[in-house]
Amino acid sequence: MNQIITATLAFGLIGLAFALLLAFLNRKLKVPEDPKVKEILNILPGLNCGACGFSSCKSYAQNVAKNPDKFKPCRPGGDQVNEKVLALIGKKRSSQKQEKMIVVCRCGAEEKDKKTSIDYQGLPNCQTAHAMGGAIDCTYGCLAFGDCKEVCPANAITIKNKKVHIDQKKCILCGKCIEICPRNLFKMIPNKNLGNYFVACQNKDKLKEVKDVCSRGCIGCGLCTKVENSPYQIKENLSEINYDQVQKKKPVEEGKNKCPTKCIDSF
Amino acid sequence: MENLILIFISTILINNLVLSYFLGICPFLGVSGKMESALGMGMAVTFVMTLATSISWLIYYLVLERFGLLFLEYIVFILVIASLVQIVEMFIRKYSANLYQSLGIYLPLITSNCAILGVALFMVVKDYSFLEAVIFGFSGGLGFSLVLVVMAGIREELKFADIPKVFKGAPLTLITAGILALIFMGFSGLGGG
Repeated sequence: MNQIITATLAFGLIGLAFALLLAFLNRKLKVPEDPKVKEILNILPGLNCGACGFSSCKSYAQNVAKNPDKFKPCRPGGDQVNEKVLALIGKKRSSQKQEKMIVVCRCGAEEKDKKTSIDYQGLPNCQTAHAMGGAIDCTYGCLAFGDCKEVCPANAITIKNKKVHIDQKKCILCGKCIEICPRNLFKMIPNKNLGNYFVACQNKDKLKEVKDVCSRGCIGCGLCTKVENSPYQIKENLSEINYDQVQKKKPVEEGKNKCPTKCIDSF
Repeated sequence: MENLILIFISTILINNLVLSYFLGICPFLGVSGKMESALGMGMAVTFVMTLATSISWLIYYLVLERFGLLFLEYIVFILVIASLVQIVEMFIRKYSANLYQSLGIYLPLITSNCAILGVALFMVVKDYSFLEAVIFGFSGGLGFSLVLVVMAGIREELKFADIPKVFKGAPLTLITAGILALIFMGFSGLGGG
Protein backbone atom coordinates (compact mmCIF):
# COMPACT_ATOMS: atom_id res chain seq x y z
CA MET A 1 0.00 0.00 0.00
CA ASN A 2 2.79 2.32 0.93
CA GLN A 3 4.55 1.63 -2.32
CA ILE A 4 1.48 2.51 -4.33
CA ILE A 5 1.27 5.88 -2.65
CA THR A 6 4.95 6.69 -3.18
CA ALA A 7 4.78 5.50 -6.78
CA THR A 8 1.71 7.61 -7.48
CA LEU A 9 3.21 10.61 -5.76
CA ALA A 10 6.60 10.32 -7.43
CA PHE A 11 5.19 9.75 -10.89
CA GLY A 12 2.55 12.42 -10.44
CA LEU A 13 5.12 14.98 -9.36
CA ILE A 14 7.53 14.15 -12.18
CA GLY A 15 4.66 14.37 -14.63
CA LEU A 16 3.48 17.65 -13.16
CA ALA A 17 6.97 19.13 -13.38
CA PHE A 18 7.19 18.27 -17.08
CA ALA A 19 3.65 19.48 -17.70
CA LEU A 20 4.43 22.86 -16.14
CA LEU A 21 7.63 23.14 -18.16
CA LEU A 22 5.76 22.31 -21.36
CA ALA A 23 2.97 24.73 -20.60
CA PHE A 24 5.49 27.48 -19.91
CA LEU A 25 7.46 26.81 -23.08
CA ASN A 26 4.31 26.52 -25.13
CA ARG A 27 3.37 30.05 -24.17
CA LYS A 28 6.90 31.32 -24.74
CA LEU A 29 7.43 29.68 -28.11
CA LYS A 30 4.00 30.13 -29.57
CA VAL A 31 3.95 30.62 -33.32
CA PRO A 32 1.11 32.91 -34.34
CA GLU A 33 -0.95 31.20 -37.02
CA ASP A 34 -2.83 33.07 -39.66
CA PRO A 35 -6.53 32.88 -38.69
CA LYS A 36 -7.33 32.64 -42.38
CA VAL A 37 -5.79 29.19 -42.51
CA LYS A 38 -8.45 27.83 -40.23
CA GLU A 39 -11.23 29.55 -42.12
CA ILE A 40 -10.00 28.23 -45.45
CA LEU A 41 -9.64 24.79 -43.94
CA ASN A 42 -13.27 24.90 -42.88
CA ILE A 43 -14.39 25.61 -46.42
CA LEU A 44 -12.29 22.91 -48.08
CA PRO A 45 -13.74 19.44 -48.59
CA GLY A 46 -11.13 17.97 -46.24
CA LEU A 47 -10.47 14.82 -48.22
CA ASN A 48 -6.67 15.28 -48.23
CA CYS A 49 -6.70 13.92 -51.75
CA GLY A 50 -3.59 15.74 -52.91
CA ALA A 51 -4.95 16.83 -56.29
CA CYS A 52 -3.64 20.37 -55.70
CA GLY A 53 -0.08 19.13 -55.25
CA PHE A 54 0.04 19.67 -51.50
CA SER A 55 0.13 16.77 -49.12
CA SER A 56 -2.98 17.75 -47.19
CA CYS A 57 -5.80 20.26 -47.13
CA LYS A 58 -4.05 21.96 -44.25
CA SER A 59 -0.82 22.64 -46.11
CA TYR A 60 -2.88 23.82 -49.09
CA ALA A 61 -4.71 26.27 -46.81
CA GLN A 62 -1.42 27.48 -45.34
CA ASN A 63 0.05 28.06 -48.76
CA VAL A 64 -3.01 29.85 -50.07
CA ALA A 65 -3.14 32.09 -47.03
CA LYS A 66 0.56 32.86 -47.36
CA ASN A 67 0.76 33.59 -51.09
CA PRO A 68 -2.70 34.52 -52.36
CA ASP A 69 -1.13 35.33 -55.74
CA LYS A 70 -0.23 31.72 -56.33
CA PHE A 71 -3.79 30.55 -55.83
CA LYS A 72 -4.61 27.32 -57.57
CA PRO A 73 -8.19 26.11 -57.48
CA CYS A 74 -9.18 23.11 -55.42
CA ARG A 75 -10.49 20.73 -58.03
CA PRO A 76 -12.60 18.46 -55.83
CA GLY A 77 -14.18 21.51 -54.20
CA GLY A 78 -15.65 22.83 -57.41
CA ASP A 79 -16.69 26.38 -58.17
CA GLN A 80 -18.55 26.95 -54.94
CA VAL A 81 -15.59 26.20 -52.66
CA ASN A 82 -13.12 28.09 -54.79
CA GLU A 83 -15.27 31.21 -54.86
CA LYS A 84 -15.51 31.19 -51.08
CA VAL A 85 -11.74 30.73 -50.71
CA LEU A 86 -11.06 33.52 -53.19
CA ALA A 87 -13.40 35.83 -51.32
CA LEU A 88 -11.53 35.08 -48.12
CA ILE A 89 -8.11 35.93 -49.50
CA GLY A 90 -9.47 38.97 -51.26
CA LYS A 91 -8.96 37.86 -54.83
CA LYS A 92 -11.23 37.93 -57.81
CA ARG A 93 -12.02 34.92 -59.85
CA SER A 94 -9.95 34.77 -62.99
CA SER A 95 -12.09 35.20 -66.06
CA GLN A 96 -11.13 31.97 -67.75
CA LYS A 97 -13.46 29.24 -66.71
CA GLN A 98 -12.15 25.87 -65.79
CA GLU A 99 -12.99 23.34 -68.45
CA LYS A 100 -15.08 20.55 -67.04
CA MET A 101 -13.40 17.19 -67.21
CA ILE A 102 -14.30 13.61 -66.48
CA VAL A 103 -12.11 10.61 -65.83
CA VAL A 104 -12.54 7.44 -67.85
CA CYS A 105 -10.92 4.03 -67.73
CA ARG A 106 -9.78 3.01 -71.17
CA CYS A 107 -10.36 -0.71 -70.89
CA GLY A 108 -13.94 -1.75 -71.46
CA ALA A 109 -13.45 -5.49 -71.46
CA GLU A 110 -15.29 -7.64 -68.96
CA GLU A 111 -14.23 -10.98 -67.61
CA LYS A 112 -15.76 -12.90 -70.51
CA ASP A 113 -13.98 -10.70 -73.06
CA LYS A 114 -10.48 -10.91 -71.66
CA LYS A 115 -8.62 -14.10 -72.41
CA THR A 116 -6.67 -15.54 -69.51
CA SER A 117 -4.23 -18.38 -70.04
CA ILE A 118 -2.09 -17.54 -67.02
CA ASP A 119 -2.83 -18.84 -63.55
CA TYR A 120 -1.57 -15.83 -61.63
CA GLN A 121 -0.96 -16.62 -57.97
CA GLY A 122 1.06 -13.61 -56.90
CA LEU A 123 0.02 -10.74 -54.68
CA PRO A 124 -3.48 -9.58 -55.54
CA ASN A 125 -2.68 -6.08 -56.71
CA CYS A 126 -2.21 -4.55 -60.13
CA GLN A 127 1.28 -3.18 -59.49
CA THR A 128 2.71 -6.61 -58.72
CA ALA A 129 0.73 -8.39 -61.39
CA HIS A 130 1.92 -5.89 -63.97
CA ALA A 131 5.54 -6.23 -62.89
CA MET A 132 5.24 -10.03 -63.13
CA GLY A 133 3.91 -9.81 -66.66
CA GLY A 134 0.21 -9.61 -65.98
CA ALA A 135 -2.66 -11.77 -64.85
CA ILE A 136 -4.42 -11.58 -68.21
CA ASP A 137 -3.16 -12.18 -71.70
CA CYS A 138 -3.59 -8.60 -72.87
CA THR A 139 -0.53 -6.60 -71.88
CA TYR A 140 -2.45 -3.33 -72.12
CA GLY A 141 -5.74 -4.15 -70.45
CA CYS A 142 -7.19 -3.77 -66.98
CA LEU A 143 -5.91 -6.29 -64.43
CA ALA A 144 -8.91 -5.59 -62.19
CA PHE A 145 -7.28 -6.13 -58.82
CA GLY A 146 -8.57 -2.71 -57.85
CA ASP A 147 -5.51 -0.61 -57.00
CA CYS A 148 -7.53 2.32 -58.31
CA LYS A 149 -10.46 1.42 -56.10
CA GLU A 150 -8.19 1.32 -53.05
CA VAL A 151 -6.60 4.66 -53.77
CA CYS A 152 -9.77 6.56 -54.62
CA PRO A 153 -10.55 8.96 -51.75
CA ALA A 154 -14.15 9.43 -52.88
CA ASN A 155 -15.09 5.74 -53.32
CA ALA A 156 -16.12 6.51 -56.87
CA ILE A 157 -14.64 3.38 -58.41
CA THR A 158 -16.29 -0.02 -58.40
CA ILE A 159 -15.20 -3.17 -60.18
CA LYS A 160 -17.88 -5.38 -61.65
CA ASN A 161 -17.08 -8.44 -63.74
CA LYS A 162 -13.44 -7.34 -63.76
CA LYS A 163 -14.35 -4.06 -65.40
CA VAL A 164 -13.83 -0.66 -63.83
CA HIS A 165 -16.89 1.54 -63.37
CA ILE A 166 -16.47 5.15 -62.35
CA ASP A 167 -19.31 6.93 -60.63
CA GLN A 168 -19.01 10.35 -62.22
CA LYS A 169 -21.19 11.93 -59.57
CA LYS A 170 -18.81 10.88 -56.83
CA CYS A 171 -15.56 11.46 -58.75
CA ILE A 172 -13.65 14.50 -57.50
CA LEU A 173 -11.07 14.49 -60.31
CA CYS A 174 -8.13 14.18 -57.95
CA GLY A 175 -6.21 12.07 -60.46
CA LYS A 176 -4.94 9.48 -57.98
CA CYS A 177 -6.14 6.59 -60.12
CA ILE A 178 -4.29 8.03 -63.10
CA GLU A 179 -1.07 7.87 -61.13
CA ILE A 180 -1.50 4.44 -59.61
CA CYS A 181 -2.68 2.41 -62.62
CA PRO A 182 0.38 0.51 -63.86
CA ARG A 183 -1.19 0.19 -67.28
CA ASN A 184 -1.98 3.86 -67.56
CA LEU A 185 -5.63 3.27 -68.39
CA PHE A 186 -7.22 6.30 -66.75
CA LYS A 187 -7.48 9.53 -68.64
CA MET A 188 -9.13 12.86 -68.14
CA ILE A 189 -11.29 13.86 -71.07
CA PRO A 190 -13.24 17.07 -71.53
CA ASN A 191 -16.86 16.81 -70.52
CA LYS A 192 -18.81 18.22 -73.43
CA ASN A 193 -22.24 16.98 -72.44
CA LEU A 194 -22.46 15.18 -75.76
CA GLY A 195 -22.50 11.70 -74.33
CA ASN A 196 -18.81 11.58 -73.44
CA TYR A 197 -17.48 9.06 -75.89
CA PHE A 198 -14.10 7.44 -75.50
CA VAL A 199 -12.18 4.52 -76.91
CA ALA A 200 -12.18 1.89 -74.20
CA CYS A 201 -9.03 0.11 -75.31
CA GLN A 202 -5.32 0.77 -75.10
CA ASN A 203 -4.04 -2.20 -77.06
CA LYS A 204 -1.57 -0.96 -79.65
CA ASP A 205 -1.03 -4.36 -81.25
CA LYS A 206 -2.23 -5.38 -84.69
CA LEU A 207 -5.52 -7.06 -85.49
CA LYS A 208 -4.56 -10.67 -84.95
CA GLU A 209 -2.67 -10.12 -81.73
CA VAL A 210 -5.57 -8.11 -80.33
CA LYS A 211 -8.11 -10.72 -81.35
CA ASP A 212 -6.01 -13.40 -79.68
CA VAL A 213 -6.23 -11.81 -76.26
CA CYS A 214 -9.52 -9.92 -76.13
CA SER A 215 -12.84 -9.83 -77.91
CA ARG A 216 -13.46 -6.16 -77.20
CA GLY A 217 -10.11 -4.71 -78.18
CA CYS A 218 -9.60 -2.01 -80.77
CA ILE A 219 -8.18 -3.69 -83.84
CA GLY A 220 -7.33 -0.48 -85.62
CA CYS A 221 -9.62 -1.21 -88.57
CA GLY A 222 -10.43 2.43 -89.08
CA LEU A 223 -14.16 2.02 -89.70
CA CYS A 224 -14.89 4.75 -87.19
CA THR A 225 -12.75 7.20 -89.17
CA LYS A 226 -14.81 6.68 -92.32
CA VAL A 227 -17.88 8.45 -90.95
CA GLU A 228 -18.66 11.94 -92.20
CA ASN A 229 -16.88 14.62 -90.12
CA SER A 230 -15.36 11.87 -88.04
CA PRO A 231 -13.40 13.03 -84.97
CA TYR A 232 -11.73 9.62 -84.85
CA GLN A 233 -8.23 8.94 -86.05
CA ILE A 234 -5.99 5.89 -85.98
CA LYS A 235 -2.68 6.17 -84.17
CA GLU A 236 -0.46 3.14 -83.54
CA ASN A 237 -3.24 0.72 -84.46
CA LEU A 238 -5.51 2.41 -81.97
CA SER A 239 -8.50 4.62 -82.54
CA GLU A 240 -8.42 7.94 -80.80
CA ILE A 241 -10.96 10.75 -80.46
CA ASN A 242 -9.76 14.26 -81.11
CA TYR A 243 -11.95 16.08 -78.63
CA ASP A 244 -11.33 19.48 -80.21
CA GLN A 245 -13.23 18.25 -83.26
CA VAL A 246 -16.21 16.98 -81.32
CA GLN A 247 -18.94 19.52 -82.01
CA LYS A 248 -21.99 17.38 -82.58
CA LYS A 249 -23.10 14.10 -81.20
CA LYS A 250 -23.97 12.48 -84.52
CA PRO A 251 -20.56 11.64 -86.03
CA VAL A 252 -19.26 10.29 -82.72
CA GLU A 253 -22.34 8.16 -82.25
CA GLU A 254 -22.12 6.83 -85.80
CA GLY A 255 -18.47 5.96 -85.31
CA LYS A 256 -19.35 4.12 -82.16
CA ASN A 257 -22.03 2.11 -83.91
CA LYS A 258 -19.69 1.20 -86.75
CA CYS A 259 -17.11 -0.33 -84.42
CA PRO A 260 -17.04 -4.10 -85.06
CA THR A 261 -15.65 -4.96 -81.62
CA LYS A 262 -17.80 -2.44 -79.68
CA CYS A 263 -14.78 -0.97 -77.97
CA ILE A 264 -16.06 2.60 -78.03
CA ASP A 265 -17.85 3.45 -74.83
CA SER A 266 -19.89 6.35 -73.61
CA PHE A 267 -21.88 7.50 -70.66
CA MET B 1 39.01 9.71 -19.28
CA GLU B 2 40.09 6.69 -21.29
CA ASN B 3 36.84 5.07 -20.33
CA LEU B 4 34.82 7.99 -21.72
CA ILE B 5 36.67 7.95 -25.04
CA LEU B 6 36.08 4.23 -25.30
CA ILE B 7 32.36 4.67 -24.71
CA PHE B 8 32.27 7.52 -27.21
CA ILE B 9 33.93 5.62 -30.03
CA SER B 10 32.31 2.29 -29.40
CA THR B 11 28.81 3.77 -29.32
CA ILE B 12 29.31 5.61 -32.58
CA LEU B 13 31.06 2.95 -34.60
CA ILE B 14 31.16 -0.47 -33.02
CA ASN B 15 27.83 -0.72 -31.24
CA ASN B 16 26.01 1.64 -33.55
CA LEU B 17 22.40 1.80 -32.45
CA VAL B 18 20.93 1.57 -35.91
CA LEU B 19 23.25 -0.82 -37.66
CA SER B 20 24.18 -3.26 -34.95
CA TYR B 21 21.27 -3.04 -32.49
CA PHE B 22 18.72 -2.29 -35.22
CA LEU B 23 17.01 0.36 -33.15
CA GLY B 24 15.36 3.39 -34.69
CA ILE B 25 14.91 1.85 -38.13
CA CYS B 26 11.70 3.77 -38.84
CA PRO B 27 13.23 7.28 -38.99
CA PHE B 28 16.39 5.76 -40.49
CA LEU B 29 14.42 4.62 -43.53
CA GLY B 30 11.88 7.42 -43.49
CA VAL B 31 14.03 10.54 -43.29
CA SER B 32 17.15 9.41 -45.15
CA GLY B 33 15.83 10.54 -48.52
CA LYS B 34 17.22 14.04 -48.40
CA MET B 35 20.49 15.22 -46.89
CA GLU B 36 19.01 18.35 -45.37
CA SER B 37 16.23 16.64 -43.46
CA ALA B 38 18.58 13.81 -42.46
CA LEU B 39 20.92 16.33 -40.84
CA GLY B 40 18.02 18.05 -39.09
CA MET B 41 16.62 14.75 -37.87
CA GLY B 42 20.06 13.65 -36.67
CA MET B 43 20.53 16.86 -34.74
CA ALA B 44 17.06 16.65 -33.18
CA VAL B 45 17.62 13.02 -32.15
CA THR B 46 21.09 13.78 -30.76
CA PHE B 47 19.66 16.61 -28.70
CA VAL B 48 16.75 14.57 -27.39
CA MET B 49 18.94 11.55 -26.72
CA THR B 50 21.58 13.47 -24.74
CA LEU B 51 19.02 15.29 -22.64
CA ALA B 52 16.85 12.20 -22.22
CA THR B 53 19.72 10.08 -20.91
CA SER B 54 20.94 12.73 -18.51
CA ILE B 55 17.48 13.53 -17.12
CA SER B 56 16.59 9.85 -16.99
CA TRP B 57 19.84 9.16 -15.09
CA LEU B 58 19.00 11.85 -12.56
CA ILE B 59 15.46 10.62 -12.08
CA TYR B 60 16.51 6.97 -11.98
CA TYR B 61 19.18 7.34 -9.32
CA LEU B 62 17.84 10.29 -7.32
CA VAL B 63 14.16 9.40 -7.26
CA LEU B 64 13.38 5.87 -8.40
CA GLU B 65 16.23 4.07 -6.69
CA ARG B 66 15.94 6.02 -3.47
CA PHE B 67 12.23 5.26 -3.04
CA GLY B 68 12.44 1.71 -4.38
CA LEU B 69 10.33 2.47 -7.44
CA LEU B 70 12.51 0.81 -10.05
CA PHE B 71 9.45 -0.77 -11.67
CA LEU B 72 8.48 2.73 -12.86
CA GLU B 73 11.63 2.85 -14.98
CA TYR B 74 10.03 2.37 -18.39
CA ILE B 75 7.06 4.64 -17.93
CA VAL B 76 9.16 7.45 -16.46
CA PHE B 77 11.69 7.23 -19.28
CA ILE B 78 8.92 7.39 -21.83
CA LEU B 79 7.47 10.41 -20.07
CA VAL B 80 10.85 12.15 -20.15
CA ILE B 81 11.38 11.39 -23.83
CA ALA B 82 7.87 12.45 -24.84
CA SER B 83 8.18 15.78 -23.04
CA LEU B 84 11.59 16.46 -24.54
CA VAL B 85 10.33 15.73 -28.01
CA GLN B 86 7.51 18.19 -27.45
CA ILE B 87 10.02 20.83 -26.43
CA VAL B 88 12.23 20.15 -29.45
CA GLU B 89 9.21 20.32 -31.70
CA MET B 90 8.22 23.71 -30.32
CA PHE B 91 11.75 25.02 -30.78
CA ILE B 92 12.01 23.81 -34.36
CA ARG B 93 8.59 25.16 -35.28
CA LYS B 94 9.53 28.53 -33.88
CA TYR B 95 13.02 28.87 -35.31
CA SER B 96 13.08 26.79 -38.49
CA ALA B 97 9.77 26.46 -40.30
CA ASN B 98 11.47 24.77 -43.26
CA LEU B 99 12.99 22.03 -41.18
CA TYR B 100 9.65 21.61 -39.44
CA GLN B 101 8.00 21.05 -42.82
CA SER B 102 10.60 18.63 -44.12
CA LEU B 103 10.68 16.52 -40.96
CA GLY B 104 6.90 16.40 -40.96
CA ILE B 105 5.41 13.43 -39.15
CA TYR B 106 8.84 12.06 -38.22
CA LEU B 107 9.42 14.82 -35.70
CA PRO B 108 6.69 13.77 -33.22
CA LEU B 109 7.64 10.20 -34.06
CA ILE B 110 10.98 10.70 -32.28
CA THR B 111 8.85 9.99 -29.23
CA SER B 112 8.48 6.43 -30.32
CA ASN B 113 12.03 6.18 -31.63
CA CYS B 114 13.16 3.07 -29.84
CA ALA B 115 16.81 4.08 -30.12
CA ILE B 116 16.23 6.77 -27.51
CA LEU B 117 14.42 4.55 -25.05
CA GLY B 118 17.07 1.94 -25.85
CA VAL B 119 19.90 4.29 -24.86
CA ALA B 120 18.14 5.21 -21.63
CA LEU B 121 17.66 1.55 -20.73
CA PHE B 122 21.18 0.47 -21.77
CA MET B 123 22.60 3.17 -19.56
CA VAL B 124 20.91 1.54 -16.58
CA VAL B 125 21.94 -1.98 -17.58
CA LYS B 126 25.56 -0.95 -18.11
CA ASP B 127 25.63 0.82 -14.75
CA TYR B 128 27.10 4.05 -16.08
CA SER B 129 28.01 7.06 -13.95
CA PHE B 130 26.35 10.38 -14.77
CA LEU B 131 29.15 11.63 -17.02
CA GLU B 132 29.40 8.28 -18.77
CA ALA B 133 25.66 8.29 -19.33
CA VAL B 134 25.73 11.76 -20.87
CA ILE B 135 28.59 10.79 -23.17
CA PHE B 136 26.77 7.57 -24.01
CA GLY B 137 23.59 9.44 -24.95
CA PHE B 138 25.46 12.06 -26.95
CA SER B 139 27.54 9.55 -28.89
CA GLY B 140 24.48 7.39 -29.46
CA GLY B 141 22.82 10.38 -31.11
CA LEU B 142 25.96 11.13 -33.12
CA GLY B 143 26.11 7.53 -34.30
CA PHE B 144 22.47 7.74 -35.36
CA SER B 145 23.10 10.99 -37.24
CA LEU B 146 26.22 9.56 -38.88
CA VAL B 147 24.36 6.58 -40.25
CA LEU B 148 21.42 8.75 -41.30
CA VAL B 149 23.69 11.16 -43.17
CA VAL B 150 25.68 8.37 -44.85
CA MET B 151 22.43 6.75 -45.93
CA ALA B 152 21.03 10.05 -47.20
CA GLY B 153 24.22 10.62 -49.19
CA ILE B 154 23.99 7.19 -50.79
CA ARG B 155 20.30 7.58 -51.56
CA GLU B 156 20.80 11.00 -53.09
CA GLU B 157 23.45 9.56 -55.40
CA LEU B 158 21.28 6.57 -56.24
CA LYS B 159 18.60 8.89 -57.57
CA PHE B 160 20.75 9.40 -60.64
CA ALA B 161 21.46 5.73 -61.14
CA ASP B 162 19.60 3.59 -63.61
CA ILE B 163 17.99 1.14 -61.23
CA PRO B 164 16.04 -1.91 -62.43
CA LYS B 165 12.36 -1.37 -61.83
CA VAL B 166 11.97 -4.19 -59.32
CA PHE B 167 14.58 -2.63 -57.03
CA LYS B 168 13.27 0.91 -57.15
CA GLY B 169 12.18 2.50 -53.87
CA ALA B 170 11.92 0.42 -50.73
CA PRO B 171 13.79 -2.74 -51.88
CA LEU B 172 16.92 -0.83 -52.80
CA THR B 173 16.76 1.18 -49.58
CA LEU B 174 16.58 -1.99 -47.51
CA ILE B 175 19.41 -3.61 -49.45
CA THR B 176 21.54 -0.49 -48.97
CA ALA B 177 20.80 -0.56 -45.25
CA GLY B 178 21.83 -4.21 -45.10
CA ILE B 179 25.12 -3.56 -46.89
CA LEU B 180 25.79 -0.62 -44.57
CA ALA B 181 25.20 -2.87 -41.56
CA LEU B 182 27.67 -5.39 -43.00
CA ILE B 183 30.25 -2.65 -43.48
CA PHE B 184 29.78 -1.43 -39.93
CA MET B 185 30.47 -4.95 -38.68
CA GLY B 186 34.03 -4.32 -39.82
CA PHE B 187 34.43 -1.88 -36.95
CA SER B 188 33.87 -4.59 -34.37
CA GLY B 189 37.62 -5.31 -34.40
CA LEU B 190 38.34 -1.78 -33.17
CA GLY B 191 37.35 -2.22 -29.54
CA GLY B 192 38.71 -5.71 -28.93
CA GLY B 193 42.38 -4.84 -29.83
